[in-house]
Amino acid sequence: MSTQTTPSVRTIAGIVLVFSLLPGTGSSARAATTPAETTALPIPVVTRFENFGEKDGLPSHKVHSVLKTKDGKLWLGTNNGLCVREPEGKFHCYGTKDGLSHPTVLWMAEDPGTGDLWLATMQGLSRFSGGQFTVFTQTNSGLPNNVVYGVAVIDGTVWAATAGGTGAYHLKTKSWKIYDQNNTVMEEPWCYSIAAGDGVVYLGVWAGGIVEHDPKTGSFKAYRDPDGDFQFQLTPDSGPVVDVTSGVAYDDGILWQSTYFGLSRYDTKEATWRTWVQDKTPLVSNFINTVFARGRVAWLATDRGASVTDGTSWVNYIVDENGRGVVRIYRPGQEPETRTMTTALANGFVTAIWADDHEAWFATSNGLSHGVFAAPTNSPTVASNP
Amino acid sequence: MKSNRIILVATSLVLAGAGATVGGYFGLSAHERLRSGRPDLGFISCNHCHQSSLATLPWAKPRPHHDAPGGIVVSPDGKTLFIALDDMDEVAEADVTSLTVTRRVKVPGGPFGLALDASGQRLFVACPHQDRVAVLDTRDLKEQASIEVGVRPTAVAYCQTPSGERLIVPNSCSDDISVLSVSPLSELVRQAAGREPYAVAVSGDGRRVYVANRMAVHDKLMSPPASEVTVLDPANGRVLDREQLHSAHLAEGITQVPTRGWMLNSLVRVRNLVPITQVKDGWVMSTGLAISQEDGEVTQIPLDEANAYFSDPSGVVASPDGKRAYVASGGADVVTILDLDRLAAWLTQADAGARSDAILDMALSFRYVTARIPTGCNPKHLTLSPDGRRLFVAERLDDCVLVVDTTSLKPIGRIVLGDGGRNDPIRQGERVFTRAKYTFQGQFACRSCHPDGHVDGLSYDFDGSGVGDNLLDNRSLCGVAGTAPFKWNGKNPTLQFQCGPRFARVLMRTDPIPPAQLDELATFIEHLPPTRTIPWSRVGQPLTPVEERGRKLFYATQQTDGTPIPQALQCQTCHRPPLFTDRLLRSVGTQEVRDPKGLFDTPHLIGIGSSAPYLHDGRAKTLEEIWTTYQKDDKHGVSSYWSKEQLNDLVEYLKTL
Repeated sequence: MSTQTTPSVRTIAGIVLVFSLLPGTGSSARAATTPAETTALPIPVVTRFENFGEKDGLPSHKVHSVLKTKDGKLWLGTNNGLCVREPEGKFHCYGTKDGLSHPTVLWMAEDPGTGDLWLATMQGLSRFSGGQFTVFTQTNSGLPNNVVYGVAVIDGTVWAATAGGTGAYHLKTKSWKIYDQNNTVMEEPWCYSIAAGDGVVYLGVWAGGIVEHDPKTGSFKAYRDPDGDFQFQLTPDSGPVVDVTSGVAYDDGILWQSTYFGLSRYDTKEATWRTWVQDKTPLVSNFINTVFARGRVAWLATDRGASVTDGTSWVNYIVDENGRGVVRIYRPGQEPETRTMTTALANGFVTAIWADDHEAWFATSNGLSHGVFAAPTNSPTVASNP
Repeated sequence: MKSNRIILVATSLVLAGAGATVGGYFGLSAHERLRSGRPDLGFISCNHCHQSSLATLPWAKPRPHHDAPGGIVVSPDGKTLFIALDDMDEVAEADVTSLTVTRRVKVPGGPFGLALDASGQRLFVACPHQDRVAVLDTRDLKEQASIEVGVRPTAVAYCQTPSGERLIVPNSCSDDISVLSVSPLSELVRQAAGREPYAVAVSGDGRRVYVANRMAVHDKLMSPPASEVTVLDPANGRVLDREQLHSAHLAEGITQVPTRGWMLNSLVRVRNLVPITQVKDGWVMSTGLAISQEDGEVTQIPLDEANAYFSDPSGVVASPDGKRAYVASGGADVVTILDLDRLAAWLTQADAGARSDAILDMALSFRYVTARIPTGCNPKHLTLSPDGRRLFVAERLDDCVLVVDTTSLKPIGRIVLGDGGRNDPIRQGERVFTRAKYTFQGQFACRSCHPDGHVDGLSYDFDGSGVGDNLLDNRSLCGVAGTAPFKWNGKNPTLQFQCGPRFARVLMRTDPIPPAQLDELATFIEHLPPTRTIPWSRVGQPLTPVEERGRKLFYATQQTDGTPIPQALQCQTCHRPPLFTDRLLRSVGTQEVRDPKGLFDTPHLIGIGSSAPYLHDGRAKTLEEIWTTYQKDDKHGVSSYWSKEQLNDLVEYLKTL
């Protein structure tokens, strides 16, 4: 589930896992058959985690969302307010006393034009601009419902995914449009996520798959699970894995769908689908809270850790029963490689991820984690489609 | 025999006439009660509901136009003054030496705000009547380019940034700010502002732009309001800060002070939560300046004196050496001069508590106010020559620009633009409207609560006893002609009655406005046209599908499932077009413990989109809240069957009225 609209390909190709930074190679995990030092991965690899919690100034152990804005500030949506990480590393937090509509900030989006921050909360949509909050609720505005799960700002329109449909707030006319089961192809009004495509908007609909909307033509198109079953995947790679969408994310022509029953990827240029479920694929867990897209790479926030994949290679980060960090690497045509890390995610239940070419930030149910990447050792290449 | 027949016929006619009259009386009364749903209603005239067309109203008829100066700006060489004449759709050029107008050109759209580029070759003109900014070549005053911005731009500022030349345009009716690049002329960002962004100033280093928002807003009923100064980075339009001016409104002038890093913002300190009868105790309004310092600290200081007020401060300008500031008081016909060295000295020695309370201390102003220069009627915009030696004062209702020698503080002369409209009763009424002399010690004018005849967004405590709280929402005077009776309780049958002796004695605590001036005041108010709330590009265009759905909902006679809506509860019954009021008292379930009665005058809806807050005490901050939060048992129309989409449709339609 990404609100980023940066179109450029930022594939972190050619990053080599520098195992010298990963002591503990003699752990119980099996050794890789191919030395990792010589094998390039087309996806970024985290070498260590730095964790932050309430002792560091976070107002809650539970972090729902994380976003780094264009000005370099890191924003956290927590269970108890909005936080920004100051340059010196301290967290400054805002709550309802400052005007935030509700302490629980589920998702955040930056308006690329104005730099304003839009916040999806459990009770309304908040705009943070110039240090002040403006609150939009279902009673004081055209917002469809106060429970706002996702938000994105796309071409001067704020899209709010709510429990009562998706609301589109046009920033110049200040008018609202509501998209729900009454006027679109979605069968349910529960919208969880918004993503900007190339000229279209993707709505992640809980129990309704993905709805593609073209604002210019006003048209809607639904992508639904072909077999209609969420327990068994009867028709893999032919559509969304299930209709229970928890998040959508789009970049570089690739649309990702996270669900509680697996992962889907839609190549909009090739019009091809690919689906993954745990046990049969490297997917660390079927229970995916959100997905973040950057280039052709997806970062998956799951209940059992985090995954990063381009659809071919995978790197999974989990926390074992002893609290140690474990990284599992899947290369095409090779046996998976498992290593322990000296550091681990703050918690295995990951709620959201933000990443760029240099770092990744993980919102978890027990703190915030900063993932430091291995240094790239060869020139970037574009990952190929599977 | 013949005479008997005549008597018989005459008697029959009289009886028939009397019968028809009596029958008509009762018949019409029954009709009115049936159609209005008001069984308690006595006989009322037919035109309560069956109104004539809007074209017959005073504001719809042609009226005289005047050479009222709006924004003024001096060329970098100090030789030329450019003057915006919004009522004439013109920009004038005047020679500063001879004090004569040298050229006038047509600039459609009510040119009001002006700015020059650094070289003085391009004049940028904000045109609020057509939502655009025009670019004029100062050599021939021909329009070179134009760009659409938000609704009703009132000012424009030019600045150079590392990213290129920028124009910053506050759009007063759409509550946003357009950030434009000059080459090419395009809108980079339209940034949300406070309520009614009105004036703009650039910091000395060009890295910050300050936009003064004229209206204050309050978080909730019975909470003090605050207006906003929106601070932007002009290079990219990002909002850097939203400074709050607590309990301040009508903040419509702003300037930067060279060498000090200050911004000065003229303001009215308003105490709307105190009974307005306390005017004699200095408790309604006072005037001041907000000083925004580089560290973000804002200090409000008074401009008034203990027993003399200088209402409606507007234009403000600082001398190039940063030693002096000038503030125009539009309601007092005065320009106040401040010694900024003395002000800085006071600020330096004052502790935080003293600075916080400064605005309340009327005795403070003697420390820094050094002079007050009398002006013509309604001084508004100010500007200084580049060397600071000449001050130009736009005397808006005299159609003149006063020129003052800043060394001697003596007037040099005037640039005469027109005759002042002395024979125009509308213009004379506007003078009454803007003058504060009709209130106790000149605390405020009609305009202080009704800028441009519209609303200030506040609710005022009108408790006649002088105690307690009885908030009443301020209602717009724009488009008010034909909507009598007035006041929320509908007790005033005419504007003359509304603004007459009782109002003066009880609320203004001063002598009544003389009858002749009162008539002129009423004439001016009746000629105030409704406020345009939709973009100029939408004027005359058909309703959008959303608005059309809202219109159908407004005129609905049955619910979605076919259930009839009682006539008395149909929107169109009370808000009957073309004025969208039947001018009757109604109960819509909004009576609270503070309200002696539950019947309130049905407000007209023309321009309703820009007159928030709503309902009689202003409890509804938005149109949506009328039905989502304050609707009780379908007493304010039948809304219980509406979906959220239908409510949104209705709101979009109402915003087009």
